[in-house]
Amino acid sequence: MQKEAVIREPLILGHKTYHDITEDVCRPIEDKAPKMWYILFGIALIIGLYGVGCILYLLGTGVGVWGLNKTIGWAWDITNFVWWVGIGHAGTLISAVLLLFRQKWRMAINRSAEAMTIFAVFMAGLFPLIHMGRLWVGYWVLPLPNQFGSLWVNFNSPLLWDVFAISTYLSVSVVFWYIGLIPDFATIRDRAKKPLSKKMYSILSFGWSGRAKNWNRFEMVSLVLAGLATPLVFSVHSIVSFDFATSIVPGWHTTIFPPYFVAGAVFSGFAMVQTLLLIMRKAMSLEAYIHTKHIEYMNIVIMVTGSIVGTAYITELFISWYSGVEYEAYAFLNRATGPYWWAYWSMMTCNVLSPQLMWFRKLRRSLLFTFFISIIVNIGMWFERYVIIVTSLHRDYLPSAWSMHYPSHIDIGVYIGTIGLFFVFFLLFARFFPVLALNEVKTILKGSGQSYKESPDYHKHH
Amino acid sequence: MGMTKKYWKGLEELKETPAFIKSKDQEFPNQQAIEEFLGDDSLNESSTTRRDFLKFLGFSVAAATIASCEAPVTKAVPYVVKPENVTPGMPTWYASTYYDGCSYTSIKVKTREGRPIFISGNKDFGFTNGGVNPQIIASVLGLYDSERLAEPTIDGTVKSWSSVDSAVSSAIKSAKKVVLLSNTIISPSLNRAIAEMELSLNAQSPAKFEHIQYDAVSYAAMREANLKNWGAAIIPSYDFSRAKTIVSIDADFLATWLLPTEFAGQYGQTRNPDNKWMSKHFHFESVMSVSGSNADGRGMIKPSEQASVLAYLIKGMGGSTSVSSNLNPGAEIIAARALKALKLSKKESLVVCGANNVGLQLLTNKLNNILRAYGTTIDANNSIQLYKSEDGKVQKFVSSVIAGKGPDVLLVLGANPVYSLPNGAEFGKALKKVKTRVSFASHMDETASLCNYTCSDHHALEAWNDYTAKPSEYAIAQPTIRPLHNTASALESILVWSGKATRGGKDSAVAYDYIKNTFQGLFPLGDFAFTTHNSCADLSVTPAALTFQDAAISSLPQAGDLEVVFYQKTAIGTGLNAGNPWLQEMPDPMTKVTWDNYITMNPLDMEKGGFVTTYDQEHGLNLATVTVNGTSLTLPVYPLPGQTLNTVGVALGYGRGANGEKIGKAAYQTKEYGGYELSENGNSKPIGANAFPCVAIENGTYQYYGSGKLSKVDGTYIIAATQIHHTVMGRHSIVRETTLDIFSNKDKEAYNPSFTLQRLNKEGHHEDAPLAEFDLWDAHPVEKIGHRWGMTIDLSSCIGCGSCLIACQSENNVPVVGKDEVRRGREMHWLRIDRYFASDEEATVGLRKDKETFSYDKAELAAENPKVVHMPMMCHHCNHAPCETVCPVLATTHSNEGLNQMTYNRCIGTRYCANNCPYKVRRFNWFNYPSYKKFTEVNPAQDDLGRMVLNPDVTVRSRGVMEKCSFCVQRIQSTKLVAKKELRPIIDGEFTTACSDSCPTNAIIVGDWNDVNSKIYSSSNEKRSYQALEEVGIKPNMWYKVKVRNEEIALLDDLQVVKKKAHHGEKKAHH
Repeated sequence: MQKEAVIREPLILGHKTYHDITEDVCRPIEDKAPKMWYILFGIALIIGLYGVGCILYLLGTGVGVWGLNKTIGWAWDITNFVWWVGIGHAGTLISAVLLLFRQKWRMAINRSAEAMTIFAVFMAGLFPLIHMGRLWVGYWVLPLPNQFGSLWVNFNSPLLWDVFAISTYLSVSVVFWYIGLIPDFATIRDRAKKPLSKKMYSILSFGWSGRAKNWNRFEMVSLVLAGLATPLVFSVHSIVSFDFATSIVPGWHTTIFPPYFVAGAVFSGFAMVQTLLLIMRKAMSLEAYIHTKHIEYMNIVIMVTGSIVGTAYITELFISWYSGVEYEAYAFLNRATGPYWWAYWSMMTCNVLSPQLMWFRKLRRSLLFTFFISIIVNIGMWFERYVIIVTSLHRDYLPSAWSMHYPSHIDIGVYIGTIGLFFVFFLLFARFFPVLALNEVKTILKGSGQSYKESPDYHKHH
Repeated sequence: MGMTKKYWKGLEELKETPAFIKSKDQEFPNQQAIEEFLGDDSLNESSTTRRDFLKFLGFSVAAATIASCEAPVTKAVPYVVKPENVTPGMPTWYASTYYDGCSYTSIKVKTREGRPIFISGNKDFGFTNGGVNPQIIASVLGLYDSERLAEPTIDGTVKSWSSVDSAVSSAIKSAKKVVLLSNTIISPSLNRAIAEMELSLNAQSPAKFEHIQYDAVSYAAMREANLKNWGAAIIPSYDFSRAKTIVSIDADFLATWLLPTEFAGQYGQTRNPDNKWMSKHFHFESVMSVSGSNADGRGMIKPSEQASVLAYLIKGMGGSTSVSSNLNPGAEIIAARALKALKLSKKESLVVCGANNVGLQLLTNKLNNILRAYGTTIDANNSIQLYKSEDGKVQKFVSSVIAGKGPDVLLVLGANPVYSLPNGAEFGKALKKVKTRVSFASHMDETASLCNYTCSDHHALEAWNDYTAKPSEYAIAQPTIRPLHNTASALESILVWSGKATRGGKDSAVAYDYIKNTFQGLFPLGDFAFTTHNSCADLSVTPAALTFQDAAISSLPQAGDLEVVFYQKTAIGTGLNAGNPWLQEMPDPMTKVTWDNYITMNPLDMEKGGFVTTYDQEHGLNLATVTVNGTSLTLPVYPLPGQTLNTVGVALGYGRGANGEKIGKAAYQTKEYGGYELSENGNSKPIGANAFPCVAIENGTYQYYGSGKLSKVDGTYIIAATQIHHTVMGRHSIVRETTLDIFSNKDKEAYNPSFTLQRLNKEGHHEDAPLAEFDLWDAHPVEKIGHRWGMTIDLSSCIGCGSCLIACQSENNVPVVGKDEVRRGREMHWLRIDRYFASDEEATVGLRKDKETFSYDKAELAAENPKVVHMPMMCHHCNHAPCETVCPVLATTHSNEGLNQMTYNRCIGTRYCANNCPYKVRRFNWFNYPSYKKFTEVNPAQDDLGRMVLNPDVTVRSRGVMEKCSFCVQRIQSTKLVAKKELRPIIDGEFTTACSDSCPTNAIIVGDWNDVNSKIYSSSNEKRSYQALEEVGIKPNMWYKVKVRNEEIALLDDLQVVKKKAHHGEKKAHH
C-alpha cells in the first residue's frame, strides 16, 4: 500500500474541477447582480459623490476650506495620500514578488489585490493634485518642453521624484494587472451569450486564442513585468518617504524612513487585502479558493511587517534621544506626551501591539479576528502618517509659530469620499471583472487523480 | 509572350479615342496653368481673394481664441497733459506732518501717479526724528476708506456747501452761545482762525463764543500739577536720550504715553550696549505694556501702590513726604534697585508717571526736582503743546448740555464725545437740546450721527495744515492728493462761517493762503516754499524762569480688592482708527491678539478663579463681567503674565459704532463666511466693548483706574491670536540675552557662544569643529561677488512696537484676512514680531537654569512677572534655503544677490516650502483675498477706493500661491536703477526696507553685505551678532544681536561665566 504524507494544506478546497473554477468565477459576471451589490454600490456612490462635491468646493474656493494653517501646511491631505499609497502596495508585492518567489497561494488573491492597488493609487494620486493651490497649472511638475525660456522642473525636489515614482508605479501596475486579465477575459468572452458583452469582452481580451504560443508569451511577459515591478514595490514608498526624510523638519528628517515606510506600506496593504477578501469570499462564494490558509499566510506577513514597523518606532525614539539634537528630542517627546499624545498612542496600540497577537495560531486562523485586526491596522497606519506629518509640523523650531490642527468638515468629507470612490471602483471590478485569476488558479488544481485518491472508490481498492 | 498582352484602364484607352490621347499626359483633367489661373481677371472680381481669405481665416481664428478667453476689464486713463512732478512709474515724495490729536510726527508721503501709498518718518527734520508708530503708517489707508463722508449733509441728507454754509452762518449769527468742542489744536493757523472767530462773535455779545479742548484720554492732571509746582499749566519736554536712569510709573512712553514718536527714538539711543553708557530702565505698572516689557527691572504694582513707589524713591533720595512707602515685596526689590541707580545718575535721571492724577503727578514732579532732572532730562521751556484737555471745563460743558442749558450752536472738531465721554450716552441723548450741532468728522461716527450738520474735514493727506507741537518747531502739513471727495478744510469752514473767507471749492486756496499768512506773521523773513519742502521751521523760545513750589498731595488712587486699569493698545489707542483693518489686524505687542478687546489677568489669578489659561483656534477663553463705577463690561479674560495680582486691565478704544454708525467697513465683527455679525438691536456687532463709561471723574480729572468687581460668566469666547505659545522653551539658539556687565567684561563665548559640531579627525578621534566646515551643498556664488543683501536686527533696541509690521503690510500689499482667518493661524503678515516670555525654568528668555532638571512642561508656562524679548521675524533669505530645494517647479529660487526669491507666477501651491521653513515665515494664499466674499468687509483690496492704497510695484497675489518677505526687492531694484543712471555704485544706507525705514529705534539695519565698509557688514560681525537656528546649517543672510539688559542677575553670571569656565576647563583637562 502506498502512503502519501499530506505536507501542505491544499490551496483549493473541495473537489473542484476545471469547469467548476470557470463556473465559480464567471457566474457572478454572467448572472444578475445580487441586491446586496446594488445596496453597497449605492452607498459607496453616495459617499463618493459627496467626496467629489467636497473636492469641487475645495477647487472652487481655495485650499483654505481645509483646516491647514501657516504652521501646518500639510495634514489630512498628505496623510491620506501616504495612507492610500501604502495600501496600494500589497497588490504588486503579491503579484510580482510572490510570483518570483513562486508562492502559489498568491494566485487566489493577486487579481483582487492588484485591483485594490490600482484603485488605491488612484485615490492616493488625487491628493497631491487637489492639495495644490493651483491645480490648473499642476502640469508644471512634468518636465515638458515649454515656451517659458529655460524654465524646467527642480530635480532636487522629492515632490518631483514622487511624480515619477507614483506615475511609474501606477502604469506598471495597470499593465501587469491587465496582462493577467487577458486570458480570463477570453474565457468570459467565449461563454458570453449576449452580443454586447461578447463584443466588449472580445475587445478586452485582445484576441486571445489560448494557443500554446499565447500561453508561452503570457508567461514570459508576466515574468518580465514581475521583474520590473519588484523594484517599484520598494522604490515607491521609499520615495514617498523622501518627502519627509530630505526635509529639515524635526521628526521628518530621519534616515530610517525608507525601509520603515516600505514595511508600513506592506503592512497596511495586506490589512486592506484582508478586509476586502474576507467580505468578497463570502459574498461571491469563493470560500474554496480563499480560505484559512491564505488568511494565515497574509497574517504572517502582517505580523512580520508590523514588527518591523514597531522596531522602527522604537529606533526613532532612541535615536532622537541619542542624537542629542534638541529639536529632534523634543519632537519625539512631544509626539508621545504633547497635545497629540492620543494620536501617537493610537498608532502604537494599533500598529505595534495588535499584530503581535498573530503569534497565536488560533487567532491568526480566526477569520473574524483577522477582519477586526485588519481594520485596526489601517486605522493605526492612518494615525502613523498623521502623527508623522502633523505632530512634527505643529511644533517645530520656533515656539512662536507653534499651532494646532483641527480638520474642517471638508477635510473629513474628502477623505471619506475617497473611501467611497475606492469602493465604487472595487464593486464595479467585482461585478464585471474576473475576481480570481481563473486560468492561473487552474494550474494549482490538484489533478483528477488526487480526487480519485480521496474518493471512496480509491480506498475500496487499496 | 507577355509582351503581346495589353493592359488597359478603360474602354477609352483600349479604343484610343482622341479625347483620351489628348488627356493622357495630364494628371489632372482640365488643369489650368498657375499663371493662367492667377491671371484670370474674373477672380479679381470676386469679393474674396486668396490673401483676403487668409486674412479672414487668421482673423476668425484669433477672434475665436480671444473670445474664448476672459478679457479683464482694465480701466487705464492716460494723462492728456502730464502733471508736473508726476512720472508714471516713479514715486513722488512729499514732506509733511502728521497729527491726529494723539500722535505727532514729521512724515514723508510716497505718492505714485498721484496716489499717496506709503507713509514713512521724515528722519531729516523735526524733533521726532521721523519716529513713527503703527497708527501713523496705517493712516494712509484711512484716506481710501469708502465710508468716509463724501459730501456735507444736513439732517443726514447730502446738501451743497453753500446751503450748509448759509445755515450754519446764520445759526452762529443768531445764537446766544456758540461752543467749539475740539481736540487739542496745535495748529497756529487754526488757533488764529478760532481766535478771530471768538473776537468777532464776542464783539456781538460778550462770552458768546467758547472754545473747549477735549481729548479722549486726558493728561489734564499733568498740566494741573505743573501749574501748582511751577506756576504754568504746561507739559514739559522729556529727553529720554539723556536719562541714564529711567523710572516709569505706568507710563507706556514707548507706545501710547504722550509723545512715543519722540520718546522711542530717544530711548533707543540709550539702549545700545556698544555705546559709552546704557540707560537703566525701571518700570512699575499693573498691565504689562510695551515699555514695561523692555524694562531692565519691572515691578508689579497695583494702581494704588503708584504713590508708594514715588514715596519710596522720594524718601530714599532724602526727600520727605507724608505718603506711605509700603510696597509689595517684589516691587520693593525693583524699587530698591531703581533707587540705587537714581542715586548714581542723579540729575541724569527721569521719572515719568502715566496717571491722570494730580497727586501722583505732584509726587513725580517732586522726585524729579529732588533729582535735579529739570534742566537736563526735562525741559519746561520747550513744552509739549499736545493734550490740552481741560477736564473741568469739559465736565461743566457736558453737564450744562445734559441739563438743557447748553449752547445754541455746538461745533465738534476732531472729538467724539458721545463715544469717549464717561457719560457719553447721556450726553448723546441730551445733544438734541442743542439747536445747531455741527460736526467736522470724517465719518458718521457716534457724535456726527447726532449732529444736524456734517461738514466733513479733509483727510490729513488732502489738506494744508501747520502744527506747533513744541514751541521750538513750526511744521507744515501739505496735501499729497487732490481731495477725493467734496470735503472742505475745517480751517476754511471756520473762516467762512466767521465771514473771513469765501468757500473755495475743491481746489480752494483759502487754507493755503491763510497758513502762508500765519507763517509770514511768525517768520517775517522765512521762505514759505522752502519750509513747505522740508515741512518744518524753528520757532525761537524765550526761556521762562520757573521755580518749584511744593504743593499739598491729595486724592491718590484708592486701593480696592480688585483694581481695574484702563489702558490704550498700541494699534487702536483711543479708538480713533477703529475702522482701519490694518490696525485691527495688528497683533497686540504683548498679547498677540487681533481684532479684539479683553480683560487682562495674571494666569495665577485666573487659575484661582477657575478660568482657562490656554486657548487656540477652537478653544476659547472664559468670559467675565467686570463692573467699575456702575458700568459693566463682559469680555473674555486673557492670561497676561506680568499683570499684578488682583488687578485687571481693559483697553480703551473698542466698542466703536455700537449703534450702527458708519465708521468704516472693518470696524465690526464679521461672520465665518462674510457679512456682519448682528447684535440684539439689529446693528452690526462692534468689536470689543467700550470701556470709556467706566472712567470715573475724581477731583475734576478723569481717572483711568478704578476698583471694581469681576464675576465669571458662562460660556467661552474664541480669540484670534497670532501666537498661542508664549515661551521659547529654553531654546538658546533662537533668543540670546545677557547683562551689560557680562557683555562689557567677558568675551563673546560667554554670552554668544559659537556652535561647534563633532567630527572625526585623521586619528579617528572626535573633535569639535566650527559649523562652517559642515556643508552638504555648494555655496551660492554670493560672497564677494556683486551685491549680497543682508540685515541685522538688534534685540536690544527693538521695543516690539509693531511699526515695521504695518509698514511692511503697507509697502507689500499684504492682505487683511479678518478675525476668523487669524484665529485659524492664517494671518498673512510677512513680518511678525515674536514675543517670548521667560518661564520659571529659564534664567532669561531662552537660557535654561539647569540643564539636568529642565522640564518642558514647566517651560511652557510663563513666569509670574516674566522677562520679555521681542523678536521681529521674517524671511531670512537663507543661502542654503530649505524652501528652495523642495519646490518641484523652481518657484522659489536664490538670486545672485543672496535673496530668496518667490516667483508667484510659477508657484503651484504645494506648501512644501512653508513646511520646510524653520522660521515659518512663508504665507500661503488660502483664498482669493482680493475677491472672495469672506473678506469683503476686511480686505481693503476688495474696495474700489481701498484698492488705491496698493503699491503698484508689488504684485497682488492670487489664490493658491505662496508669498513671503522679499526684502522689499522692488526698493532694491529702484535703488539700483537710480545708481545705475547716475553711473555710481549704491551708497550704503541708500536702500532701506519698509521695516528698517519705519523702525523708531533703528534696530533694523539693511545693506550690501559684500560692501565691507557698510554698516550691515560691520554690524553683522559684531560680538553680539548671531544667527537664529544657525546649527541647522541654512546660512541665513540675517543676523540678530544679543539682547543686553542693564541689570545684574547673579544667576546669569553663574550660567554664562562661571559654569562655562568650568566646562571649558573640564574640556582642556580631557585633552
